[in-house]
Amino acid sequence: MTDDVGLIWREQAPLVLTALLRRSRDFDACEDAVQDALVDAARSWPRSGVPDDPRAWLVRVASRRLVDRHRAEAARQRRERVVVDPAATAPAADQPCVVVDHDDTLALMLRCAHPDLTDASRIALILRAVGGLSTAQIAAGFLVPEATMAQRISRAKATLRQADEPLPPAAPHDVAARLDAVRTALSLIFTEGHTTSGGDRLLDLDLAREAIRLTERLHRALPDDGETTGLLALMLLGAARFDARSDEQGELIPLEHQDRRRWDRAMIARAVAMLESTLPVGPVGPFQLQAAIAAVHAESPTAETTDWRQITVLYRMLDRIAPSPPVALNLAVAVGMADGPQAGLEALRRIESPVLERNHRFHAARAHLLERDGQREPARAAFLRAAELTRSIPEQRYLRRRAEIR
Amino acid sequence: MKFVILIHSNPQPWGHPTCDTLAEFQALPPEEQARLGKEFDDVLAEMTERGELIGGEALADPRSSTLFRYEGGARVSVDGPYAETKEQLAGFFLIDVASRERAEEVAAYFSGPGETVELRPAMWPGGSDE
Repeated sequence: MTDDVGLIWREQAPLVLTALLRRSRDFDACEDAVQDALVDAARSWPRSGVPDDPRAWLVRVASRRLVDRHRAEAARQRRERVVVDPAATAPAADQPCVVVDHDDTLALMLRCAHPDLTDASRIALILRAVGGLSTAQIAAGFLVPEATMAQRISRAKATLRQADEPLPPAAPHDVAARLDAVRTALSLIFTEGHTTSGGDRLLDLDLAREAIRLTERLHRALPDDGETTGLLALMLLGAARFDARSDEQGELIPLEHQDRRRWDRAMIARAVAMLESTLPVGPVGPFQLQAAIAAVHAESPTAETTDWRQITVLYRMLDRIAPSPPVALNLAVAVGMADGPQAGLEALRRIESPVLERNHRFHAARAHLLERDGQREPARAAFLRAAELTRSIPEQRYLRRRAEIR
Repeated sequence: MKFVILIHSNPQPWGHPTCDTLAEFQALPPEEQARLGKEFDDVLAEMTERGELIGGEALADPRSSTLFRYEGGARVSVDGPYAETKEQLAGFFLIDVASRERAEEVAAYFSGPGETVELRPAMWPGGSDE
């Protein structure tokens, strides 16, 4: 399959699937029919060229395949009934094919965020149903065997089948909660892509880019939703630093040592503009605040000129509406940057907990503050403790290097 | 995130499930044995359902292993077992869960009387720049 066809396919597959799901609630049968249509497209498009309206073509072919499947299934059931019941009913008439002319991304994402599913299942379903990725690609992105991912997806689909929801799903009062779950799933996909550089490159899947693509589509469906805009801005601000966050050897370069000329200024400008339009409107949620913090970093010409007071204020707000150990930790770090290392160490002492005690970032933050405070040996011990606790190989190397610097 | 659950045990004679030949487990009243067994089966079923169980193997008698070393400029092999200790690696499970808390929650059910279960995080290649 050529790249063109692949791209058209990834864009169109969820729309085609949604069109079919309007007629049948059988997720598996619809997916199979959509896959059949892809096979047909892969066979005929290279010869006859890509049709003018690929979506209409795919919906037409997939619908025909779905009807074929239903017919075969109905015929089988009819044969069985004929044996037991001579007065078998007539086959159902074919329904006309409905071509979706609008983006149904939102309806499909909400369906994939069913409350009975775990985050892992939601992620897998969104990538599969909305992203149009293959099970092999999703498995490679998450570095798990294909069989594991296949099982995860088929269990998730079984759960959805049991729930037997119409499309569009969810009562209005559920939509907000589902939307939160969708954003969480998208954010987890981005984080996975942001932190994992392994995986099978041959499958050419960049989870971070895929997360941005999907969030862009959610944002297009809900342009006035502040948290969706915030999430997209947050991802763009993270992605803008991709090229600057590792050196030629693949070693991790922390934010304050990155060459800021390598940051993608256009992407940052777009994210900042999005935030400026959404922040003054309506309630401010956690993604908007995290994006605002990332924007303060992104807009500072050097690490030294970072406006840590503003970051402290933003973390205080985040700590109020969405408190968590990492937020408390980041707040303490910001305090240390704004008011000096001793204030930071004091802030860290106040939030000590068994959970943070096992967190490598807690010890790394302490190490940096101790070092700035001139306490070299305790700093060294804290860097080494952080290195023991981290699960990231580049981070471990970085922390060990810091422990050795005198 | 991925973890391995390592089962360190010393069933005599060696076999699986290890509890079948562990004196400490066999000393329990039958209803207690049944309860522990059911709890483990339930957790395993739940993990399978959620797609958290990637794989695992029960391992053969540690005395059946072969050890390879580099000594005096040459690669040499000798018969096992590797560890001198009483408890040996009896089996492992590879899991993929949402958090360390979830990993600890499930790993607890892999333990039983007379053996030690070790939960070890896997390393991942990436890192955060913040």
